[in-house]
Amino acid sequence: MSANLAFQLSFRNILRHRRRNAMLFAAVAVAVLGSSLSMGLVRGWQYDMLDGVVGNLTGHIKVHAPGYLDDPGIQRGFELASDYQPDVPSEDLMGWAPRISVPAVILSERETRGIQLVGINPSAESISFLDKVVIDGENLSGPGDGRMIIGKELARQLKTRVGLRLVIMTQGSDGLTRERGFRIAGTYDAEGTGLEKAYVFSGLQTIQSLLDTENVTEVSIRLNEEPKKLSIQALLVDFFIGLEVMNWEELNPQAAGLYLFTDSIIYIFFFFIMGALIFGLVNTLIASVMERTKEFGMLRALGMNRRTIVLEVVIESVLIMTFGMIFGLVLAYFSFLGLEDGLNLGVWAEGLESFGMRAVLYPIMRVDDFVTIALMSLFMGVLASYWPAKRATRITPLEAMRG
Amino acid sequence: MSGEVVMARGLTRVYQEEAVPVHALRGVDFSLSSSEFVSLSGPSGSGKSTLLNIVGGLDRQDEGIIELDGEELAPLSEGDLAALRLRKIGFVFQAYNLVPVLSALENVEFILQLQGVGSAERKERAGEALKSLGLSELQDRRPGEMSGGQQQRVAIARAIVTNPVLLLADEPSANLDSETTKELMELLRNLNETQGMTIITATHDPMVMGYAKRQVHLRDGTVERDEVVTD
Repeated sequence: MSANLAFQLSFRNILRHRRRNAMLFAAVAVAVLGSSLSMGLVRGWQYDMLDGVVGNLTGHIKVHAPGYLDDPGIQRGFELASDYQPDVPSEDLMGWAPRISVPAVILSERETRGIQLVGINPSAESISFLDKVVIDGENLSGPGDGRMIIGKELARQLKTRVGLRLVIMTQGSDGLTRERGFRIAGTYDAEGTGLEKAYVFSGLQTIQSLLDTENVTEVSIRLNEEPKKLSIQALLVDFFIGLEVMNWEELNPQAAGLYLFTDSIIYIFFFFIMGALIFGLVNTLIASVMERTKEFGMLRALGMNRRTIVLEVVIESVLIMTFGMIFGLVLAYFSFLGLEDGLNLGVWAEGLESFGMRAVLYPIMRVDDFVTIALMSLFMGVLASYWPAKRATRITPLEAMRG
Repeated sequence: MSGEVVMARGLTRVYQEEAVPVHALRGVDFSLSSSEFVSLSGPSGSGKSTLLNIVGGLDRQDEGIIELDGEELAPLSEGDLAALRLRKIGFVFQAYNLVPVLSALENVEFILQLQGVGSAERKERAGEALKSLGLSELQDRRPGEMSGGQQQRVAIARAIVTNPVLLLADEPSANLDSETTKELMELLRNLNETQGMTIITATHDPMVMGYAKRQVHLRDGTVERDEVVTD
């Protein structure tokens, strides 16, 4: 009953000072909009980073033979049945790709470089960055394709171009050195991935033939939803007995740490923006309480208890935050719609690439982020009302009686 | 109708003003029976408002005993005093002190809301209180849309709607003209005579004093005169 009264008084008092509170709503809305947009941009960068890490041949989950990560070579390959399908529910599986990945040396007429030679089935690489990269020349046609694609930067360093031949030297399954000439089918531009200088791709069967093996060195699995990685990893561990089944966080702990740190950045942004707002809200609420000293004193004199007085101030604060927050979230929603095609950061593309970011950033607003902003705003509203409410409870009925 | 509503013995109240003690009450004895209409009068600083505040549970004495409706007030906590005021006392303030954001009806209703009375009963009782004071037409108006006299009548409706054992009016006519003061005091006298409402007013105004059946005159924190007025 008292809560209803407190709500009624709070609501009417907000309407009573329309202009002042309208300014406050606008400030809250702008702060929520700013928080949402910064959160969305950072979230977009976080997803971009995750996409980059997972797409850089890692996948959400990867299977290796024991010891491969410390000493990668075809000796630490494993056999994969020709009819193998990952034991993963189809709705969770985006795709999977078997590969051979071994260190090798590449030689042009003028230069020599150490590289990672990767044998792939091009049609299975829809799960990796290879599906998205721009290729000058041609892509590989299938697992039996005997040509290669190399990064543009590597081609520049080797002073070669599409159509020319390069020689690759590597160690076969018997430990002996193998070498073979490959014609360059195409060069790829993997913006921001840092793979261009090191990764050279050819058909899986071609590389198996070169190394004299039927094994693969890895199976990369990509899921539709990242959070399911742990449960599906557990399923695969049971299937690949004796092999190492690792998720992307285990394979790339540095990126995983950065991914988690990004979560913190999101909340740091939020608390800075909303924290600044809180001072304004506290100030306005204290002014509102001071203006109503007589009213609060009278309410106390008539028998209203302190709890209801506190409730009135808290509700007033929370209502201001709620209206502003709803308006801010609606603005944020439409802003995100306006940024659906991404935010072009082309001017800073080179610098961003060094941070693993792409030139076009797609802001992402998750429902749980919206909910978090809403709940935290309400919490801020309660927090902001603490001092004004305390002030209101200090007002004595005698102040009202003195008129 | 002869029970003792207020019983005060040896009330002393000393305020510290810039380290100088000011004796607002010096051992005041005062009692009030049910259905009495008493005016407390005296010059500024005589102690009448202090006495009214202590009787109303808004201030505490330094020494002495005060009982309201048989209940001693000194041991009660702030919360208990607030509850007691809500249940037993109706207040009429000098500056009306209506809630500016509520209509006349809501201003009367909210005191019942604090008491936990249900919505339908609240509306009915508040409406009746306003009607009894001739304010039905104004029930949807907010305080800013009413004259001083109308606001003070709404304040009286708010004070009586809970059927309190005691109605306290502190300088009720201070902001009213003579005609409105007369109407207001007629109203209080009518409440006292027809409903047996026990009333204390604190006032400087001889016209207000003239309506009380008993006049208590204070000076320098003591009761100088306590006399029953005969017609």
